[in-house]
Amino acid sequence: MASYSENMEQAISHIKQQTILMQRSLTQKKLMDALKHSSDMLKELRNPDLSPKLYYELYIIIFDSLSILSQYLVENHPTRHHLADLYELVQYTGNILPRLYLMITVGVSFMQTKDCPAEEVLKDMIEMCRGVQHPIRGLFLRYYLSQRTKQSLTSDILLDKKFDVQFVITNFVEMNKLWVRLQHQGPLRERDIRTKERKELQILIGSNLVRLSQILDDSFPLYRDEVLPQILEQVVQCRDVVSQEYLLDVICQVFPDEFHLGTLAQLLDSTLKLNPDVVINKVVLSLIARLNGYLDRQDDPSVVIQNLKQLHLNGSTDTKATSESNVDSAENKADADVTPTNKVDLFFVFWKYLTKITDERPDLPFHEIIPLVHSIMLLSLKWYPTNLSNIEILYKFCWEKYQEFGSTIPEECEQSFKEFFEYPLNTESFYEIITKCDSFQKLLSVQSVALQKDIINSILDKIIETNTKISEKHHLEKLGAICEPVIPVPNDKSKVSKLTVDDELDDELTFLNPEQEKLAKIVHLIYHKNVDQNTELLLICKKWYYKGGKQLRYTYPALITEFWKLIRKLHLKSLKIPARKEKYYAKIKQLFKYVSRCNADLFNICGLSVSDLLFKLNLQTAAIADQLELSEISYDFFSQAFTIFEESISDSKIQFQAIVNMAQVLQKTRSLYNEESYYDTLITRCTLHGSKLLKKTDQCRAVYLCSHLWWATELSLIGEEEGVTQYFFREGKRVLECLQRSLRVADSIMDNVQSCQLMVEILSRCCYYFIHGDESETHVGVKYIAGLVELIQANLKGLQLEESGDTQEYSVPAQNIVIGGDGSYICKVLSSSVCKVSNKIPNVRIPDLIAVPVSYFERTLNYIENQKQVDDRFNAIVT
Amino acid sequence: MSIFYKNPVDIEILFDGEDSRKHVEIPTNSHSAKSLFDKFPLFEDGESVSGLVTLRVREGKKLEHSGVKVSLIGSIDTTGLNNEVKNKNLDTFLTLSMDLCPPGELVHSVNYKFNFKDVEKRFESYLGKNVSVLYYIKVTMIRKSADIVKLKKFWCHRYSNESALKENEAKPIKLDIGIENCLHIEFEYSKAKYTLKDVVVGRIYFLLTRLKVKHMELSLIKRETCGTEPNQLSDTTSIRYEIMDGSPVKGETIPIRLFLGGYDLTPNMTCNYFNVKNYLSLVIIDEDGRRYFKQTEIMLYRTI
Repeated sequence: MASYSENMEQAISHIKQQTILMQRSLTQKKLMDALKHSSDMLKELRNPDLSPKLYYELYIIIFDSLSILSQYLVENHPTRHHLADLYELVQYTGNILPRLYLMITVGVSFMQTKDCPAEEVLKDMIEMCRGVQHPIRGLFLRYYLSQRTKQSLTSDILLDKKFDVQFVITNFVEMNKLWVRLQHQGPLRERDIRTKERKELQILIGSNLVRLSQILDDSFPLYRDEVLPQILEQVVQCRDVVSQEYLLDVICQVFPDEFHLGTLAQLLDSTLKLNPDVVINKVVLSLIARLNGYLDRQDDPSVVIQNLKQLHLNGSTDTKATSESNVDSAENKADADVTPTNKVDLFFVFWKYLTKITDERPDLPFHEIIPLVHSIMLLSLKWYPTNLSNIEILYKFCWEKYQEFGSTIPEECEQSFKEFFEYPLNTESFYEIITKCDSFQKLLSVQSVALQKDIINSILDKIIETNTKISEKHHLEKLGAICEPVIPVPNDKSKVSKLTVDDELDDELTFLNPEQEKLAKIVHLIYHKNVDQNTELLLICKKWYYKGGKQLRYTYPALITEFWKLIRKLHLKSLKIPARKEKYYAKIKQLFKYVSRCNADLFNICGLSVSDLLFKLNLQTAAIADQLELSEISYDFFSQAFTIFEESISDSKIQFQAIVNMAQVLQKTRSLYNEESYYDTLITRCTLHGSKLLKKTDQCRAVYLCSHLWWATELSLIGEEEGVTQYFFREGKRVLECLQRSLRVADSIMDNVQSCQLMVEILSRCCYYFIHGDESETHVGVKYIAGLVELIQANLKGLQLEESGDTQEYSVPAQNIVIGGDGSYICKVLSSSVCKVSNKIPNVRIPDLIAVPVSYFERTLNYIENQKQVDDRFNAIVT
Repeated sequence: MSIFYKNPVDIEILFDGEDSRKHVEIPTNSHSAKSLFDKFPLFEDGESVSGLVTLRVREGKKLEHSGVKVSLIGSIDTTGLNNEVKNKNLDTFLTLSMDLCPPGELVHSVNYKFNFKDVEKRFESYLGKNVSVLYYIKVTMIRKSADIVKLKKFWCHRYSNESALKENEAKPIKLDIGIENCLHIEFEYSKAKYTLKDVVVGRIYFLLTRLKVKHMELSLIKRETCGTEPNQLSDTTSIRYEIMDGSPVKGETIPIRLFLGGYDLTPNMTCNYFNVKNYLSLVIIDEDGRRYFKQTEIMLYRTI
């Protein structure tokens, strides 16, 4: 027996040489010689040392060569030879491998002729192929058989389809056996290499299934009754991980969707019997992906589902539907098997499967179950997006499983859990899932804190992103339950903070928690048409946020603003329906009480750190109350604000801002004048506080700003108009007093620049009053202004003296400096457009500093000059 | 010798219808022959052997003789390896003679017809290593000096009566063999008796394989034995036919199919002097090159 070449190069050149010789013989019509050469080159395929890759290379070359031979055989049949004779002739080849290759080549050529007993030949060939038991050689031989027979099987209609199918299946089964056997060859340490080699060969086996699907075309009963059971049996029996995973995947991929729908139960059942090492969820996932894809590929998915449903209804009556509705009948049948109830659907099939698998495979690790459940959820969401009970069932299942497994759950589950939770969020019905599925929350609550936070964040993001309105009480409650872990302050610091009495610093340093921000945002999504219910929802929110401890400083403001909104809404309603005013009023009052409650909570829990915030909230609430003409309430909140100012605000800068803020709000109030001179009390107090500020500059500014409290101006929003509106609260005398007082303070300031600056500011203020009121009313007259101008000029002179004393040469200032309304320095470097604001005196030369009030004064005088053209009264002012 | 002394008469033997008669090609054992095969006309058992003998005398010469006779001879030659002419061990089992012409003088060429009617040929023609069975027509011109002899070989096939063998034929050969804890196979040949154009069909069922089988072959062995102990001579020739490549697993069934028609085979023969037996041998070769085999005797017979 002649042997094969030693290496690849030799082998290839030998094959090529033999091919040429064979071709030459063929052109000379010497068939016997040609066969001899073919047989000779086929010996190369007997080499046992080739890797699958190299073997494949040889196979390809030989395949081409044999194609030439095959063509000749067909063309010269019966004229030069009879293929039946040749078929017998090649049997005499001594070596089995070349013999079988030749046999197949001749046999298939024979089948292409008309007078051939094709079935017999096929049967014979496949039977004879058993002789090759070497995995790689056997695989390729059978692959050759399958490739060769491909044309004849498809083109020849005469052949029975059933026979074809059986033929391919037989070949497939044998190939798979060989493929599995390949794993167990060679030394144990090369197992991994074997596995790799096998994966390289997998396509050979898979191609059979592809062929099957081509042959089957649309004959579903054949698939269901013949093909699938056999394939699955083989898959199950081989008990090989690589094979089972690959083949099931191929089954899922190559057969039509309708087939899968029809045989779902079978397919799933078979996965139960797989090798325990097979990752079942991979298989199920690919199946589900396929089914989901099916839905996508349909023009109208709803029709499909509808069809499915219809069948379920008819299912009991005509299980044995005719062939026209094969898929349908199969579906019925499958369902009839698994479901005793009427609730029949695709999901149920999978659900049944899930319960079965957990019953039969208690060894299945939890982290494999989750992806499985996850994939079923994908299916349910795709096919039955509205049926949330499915989802609930799945989560519940998981939860129960979780309980069962208890503490033995490994950490790697985390990731799969994460996907499991996050997936529904990307669907349209995520909100329903969250709010309606109890088990979602249950399951989530047993996860690790980090994971929970992760998920909650995603949930909150999603809700905010989609702008979902939350209007049901139980939804909100559910959401609250889900979010519970992120509400409270992280506990890890609590022990430390007991020791350090004042943890305010810590609190300042902690950054705003993103979850808290999101929680606050959720508040704004709460909406209900009915104010009472809306209020209730908000109160529920409030209840949870209260649990957050110090965190409520982030969340409560949102709540308060929502209350404000409701108050305004009610107010508008009451304006529309005056008859119910009383009722509305009561509600409004109640709402204010809630606001007050919130404020109190904030104060009690967060203490001094939020006093500024509280102050502002109180002021704002007071302003709202005032706008609603609820003077009592308004006063109450104002007084609250004052209390906070007095008791808690200690920073001088904030104090000043607070006073300004207060003055601003107060000046716009309208309802406080009437009874018990609330307004008077408040503004006097405000001014008093202003004058008691620490820094004189602040005092001065606060007081002149407070002067406006005695000079109400029009608020066009509520219909006031200068000159038309009858009554404005104006007391010119007090205004002047204030101005005087602030001037005194300004004068007493030692820093000349500051002092001058303030005076000019007061001058501007005087001009304002001069323009806006008659001298008789405001008591700010020409004389007064002129006097002030003089005073400033005198002071400025003093300043300039100081400047001239400075020996340094005056040059163009490097930067523009302006003093802001709150005494801060605003420096603008000429070269850039950015300003620098600081409270400290900037590090510049004195002349530059002096230039500040001077130029300000000049601008003011300039303004007065300009006003002269508009207003005659200004003419009296001599500058 | 022929250069100096030429046969004064040329004897030619021609069978009736020889051109149209079936011939067999038998590989020659003489190395000097031009072709690899000798062609012989074929006769059956019981068939009449008839023909024409032509005696040609050289032009213008006379030949005196004391009679010409023709005989049909069947003989078994067991000369074998000690192929010494002197020691020729020939056993003639068949001699039929008839006189062609009485003693006289030959002056010109004469044709004589001969006919041996319904000759019973007990053995098939056979050409083996040690034994051969030969049939030939011998024309002898008896002379006072040396006789002039001319031989013409012909071949004989005996066809078995198929119907007589039918009953045994149905019985297949089934065997169950193995090496303990190593290999256990069951094999089956469809029958024990085959015609020469038959196909050996069978299967091998692997019940246990711990061997790393490289491949498996079927050998068709012909064993010719002649002589008696202790001077028995035997010769074996075999045809190898690979039927399996690679190592099977438990439960595999390997088909056997061997077409016999394409091979030059000899039917079983038995007689006093020698016998020819055929065996089917199943050989398993493992990866270390060890051979395991099991021989089974089969009977081959010739049919029309």
